Parts: sequence; structure tokens; C-alpha cells
Amino acid sequence: MKKSRSIRLALMGTASVALAACGDSNEPPPGAQFYSTQQECEVLYDAAACRAAFADAEQKQVAEGPRFSRKEQCEAEYGAGNCETHQAAGGGSYFMPFLMGYMVSNMFNGGRYAQPVYRGPDNSAVVASGGRKYNVGNFDTAAGRTAFRPTAAAAPTPRGGFGTTARGFGGAGT
Amino acid sequence: MERLSATPRPDWRAHVERDLGFTFHTIGGEPYWDETAYYRLSSDEVDALEDATSELEQMCLALVDRVVGEGEKAFERLRIPRNAWGAVARSWRASEKNLYGRFDLAYDGQGAPKLLEYNADTPTALFEASVVQWDWLQATHPDSDQFNSVHERLIDAWNRFGLRGRRVHFAAVKDHAEDNGTVEYLRDTATQAGVKTERIAIEDIGWDGGAFRDLQDRPIDVLFKLYPWEWLVGEEFGPALLSGGVQVIEPPWKMVLSNKAVLALLWEMAPGHPNLLPTFLEADRVEGKVVRKPIFSREGANIRVLADGRVEDDTPGAYGAEGFVYQAHVDLRPFGGRYPVIGSWVIASEPGGIGIREDATPITRDTSRFVPHLFD
Repeated sequence: MKKSRSIRLALMGTASVALAACGDSNEPPPGAQFYSTQQECEVLYDAAACRAAFADAEQKQVAEGPRFSRKEQCEAEYGAGNCETHQAAGGGSYFMPFLMGYMVSNMFNGGRYAQPVYRGPDNSAVVASGGRKYNVGNFDTAAGRTAFRPTAAAAPTPRGGFGTTARGFGGAGT
Repeated sequence: MERLSATPRPDWRAHVERDLGFTFHTIGGEPYWDETAYYRLSSDEVDALEDATSELEQMCLALVDRVVGEGEKAFERLRIPRNAWGAVARSWRASEKNLYGRFDLAYDGQGAPKLLEYNADTPTALFEASVVQWDWLQATHPDSDQFNSVHERLIDAWNRFGLRGRRVHFAAVKDHAEDNGTVEYLRDTATQAGVKTERIAIEDIGWDGGAFRDLQDRPIDVLFKLYPWEWLVGEEFGPALLSGGVQVIEPPWKMVLSNKAVLALLWEMAPGHPNLLPTFLEADRVEGKVVRKPIFSREGANIRVLADGRVEDDTPGAYGAEGFVYQAHVDLRPFGGRYPVIGSWVIASEPGGIGIREDATPITRDTSRFVPHLFD
């Protein structure tokens, strides 16, 4: 037999695949990046891809975000002081954990998959998906930021010394 | 070898996007991945392709050895930029490992496969061959075989690089879906071999005078680049890259193979070899119909077909400044009105499988379509 016996992808599939791979570890899934705003995403990537990713995340927050009828239930899972009230469309209210930002995966590969990230107990960063919770990192409270957000260089390193030839030719692959 | 019509899986677009992360199945509004047809080969035909691929790779490695031994004169014939000669020789003598390459073969099931060209430095169409056509096979013909073990060979090759636990930066040009998809797939396989992977755009690589830096200013120690060596060495940071502080994949010695002048040197080394077409650096050496190809060109650009000095076909492009090679014309047999070229993969210099691209004309361009295959 000359065909592959099985093929598993670690990074290429959907965010859910990446999440399953990350399990209960305190690390973000490989390739995932965290942004607190869409503008942060656009600094590094194509604006349209960021827009699509954030639209996806917002839709997920509405469709499958964790909702609790009582504040105590929410705080039991997400920690004291980490929940806020929301007005339901049909009247009444419910509680959700604080939305801290978005985790985006596969940004280099079309980047349409993103997940809302909530604050959990002990400043953990939590993604809720498919009825499960995944711990994807920690928020650095001193800085008011997550530990895994890419940061810009303090003294800018000279860049742009590669890539000039490609401008006349489109892609570089053959 | 035959081309058979097929009914596409009804949900294939959503499926390949969602489950495989295959986002460039349609390019510029035109289909690229095409499962309205597939090629069926015999097991003997697959063996012929595998043997030819193995043989060609061994010849290429022998040629690199010969060129490095010969030095200046050979480098000049191959149009390797002078500032890169030292790095080419040094990386070859240090046996720096290589990851992959794709031979483009003319083959219709009759006679020997003929080498049209070797994409030794920046080949794409890898993910399609390795994962997408395998996924198609498992869904549509699970009992059939396919010449394709690219995936496990890549993971195995990464293991042999000895980079477990080390950080490798993967670079491609910005905003090019196909190139970035290829790099993302290679990064996926490296991750599975325990490599710590990072992504960076070629344009974002920094050089602080002592080290290459990523966007977080971490040093780049090992760089996979889907960007041709001959471009890198001509750009501003090129000299720094050639100084040897960074391990680059593919290694610098691939410059010997990643130009079309190598086709003439291969023919010179092994004249009459059944898997080679007569190819020369001079226009008047080939009898009959001849294809003129720029020494550096990509995606079928600037290819001219000449019959008795008369231009029969010509593709546009911006290449050709470094000169041309002249290759004997081979008549590709159309299958269902399409002209297939076999992309035959070598992973760590061993045959790993094929991907078939076909075009509406005998010159395969970036408008070609990828069509899956099987054999039994």
C-alpha cells in the first residue's frame, strides 16, 4: 500500500480541532493568538480576515456563550466578581462572564475561526465551546493584559529587508 | 493511465474548509481543486513514476556534488549569484538536510516519465497532494490505493532534522493564500514532530545587525522560507543570511537545482538518460520542436515553443533576464481535452507520492487545476 494510513492535522482544521488538542493544559492551542480588540488583530494581519474572524467570534458569543440565570451560578464557575448581567431579547436578564477578547487561530490560513475569551477563576483565560470549558492561558492583572498577546518591540528592529523581489511577481511558490 | 469523470461530493467545499483548513480550493474565482474527474493509474505505472523519481533525485544529488567540486565555472553556468557561492558549497559539504522537492514529469502511461523541470526550492501544491486528495480518496474510494505517503514522510523528515523542542520560524510572502496554506501545512507537520513553530511574513523579518528577529524580537535560529533563494540573496538582508548564522530550509545548496539551467547540466552529465529530455544552454543544439524556458521563472511564465525558429506558443511574464534553456519538446497527450503534468514529490530525497495538475493547454500555469488520482 502506498497511501497514508492515517492523517491527523495539528493546526490546519477548525478552532474546535485546535481546542480539543489543547485539552486542559494552561497553554493556548498552537498557533492561536489573543486580541482584546479587532484593531490589535489588524496590526498584524489582513483587515478583512480580522473582521471575518471577529464576526465569527461575536456570533459564537451570542449563540453559545455561557449563560446563567443567577449570578451565584456564574461566579461558581467563573470566579467571584467575574460575571455581569445582560438583558435578554425577550425581557428579563441573565449573567455571563466578562468578555476579555478573542482567540483567533489560523490567521495565516484564511483566519475565519475565532472564539470569545472570558475571564475565569484566578485570572484564567477561558474559552467556552460545545458545552466544555478550556483554559487557554492567564491574564496578567498587573498589566491588565494577557500573557500571550504579541507585543511590539521597544526599540524597533529594522525590517523589510526581505520580500522586495516578490512584489513584481505575486506568489513565491512554484 | 486514464481520466475518469466523477460526481463531486455535494458538501466538499464546506468540508475541506472546515475540516482540513483548505482555503485556496478556488483561486481568483476559478476552480483550482477539481474533483469532477480523477486519474486512475495502474500499479506498474506508479512503480515507473516512483523509480524515475528516485533515479532523478539521485542524479540531482550527484550533480550538486559535481557542481560544488567544479566551483566557479559551474556556478556561473547555473547563474547562481556570486555572493551565494560560498554558502552553497559550505552547506553541501556540511551535509545540511533538505526537506522536499517536486519533479514535474511528462507521463501518459507509455514510455518513460520525462523530467520537464525540478521545483527544488519553493514547491507548492503539497497540501493538496498530501492531505486533500487523500481525504477525497478515503471518502470516495476507500478501498483503492494512492501513491501518496507525503504526510508521514514529512513528519519523519522533521524528526530527522533533529529540531525537536527547538523553535523554527516559517515564512512566506504576505497575502498569498496558496503559499501561506503550504507553509501552514508544513508547520503543522513540524509541530507533530515536536518542533516549536512560529509564523512570520518574509517582509516582517528583522535584522538588528547581529541576528534575525521576529515580530516579538525573538532571534530566528532556524528559518523555513517559501521564498526563492535567488531572490533572498539579492535583497537587502541577503548578505546577512548567507553569513551562516541561521539554518535555512531548504538549504543554500538547493540553489544548484532550483534553476532551469540545471536541466542542461543533467543532460550533459547523463546524455540519453530515459527520464531526461535533451536540454541545452544554446538555442541551436536541439533538433525539431524546442521549448525555450527562462533560467529563473515560475508558474509557467515566459515559456516559448519554437518550431524551426517559428514561435508556436508563448506565455507572458517578467522573467528571462538571466537567459534561457532550450529543451526538446515533448508532446503531452491530452486526457479529456486536458493536459496533465505529474508533480512527483521527494521528501528528504525519497519518493513520497504524486499530485496531478492539468491545464487546458500544454503549458501548465498558475491557472491549472489539481485533480486527484488513485491506482489499483
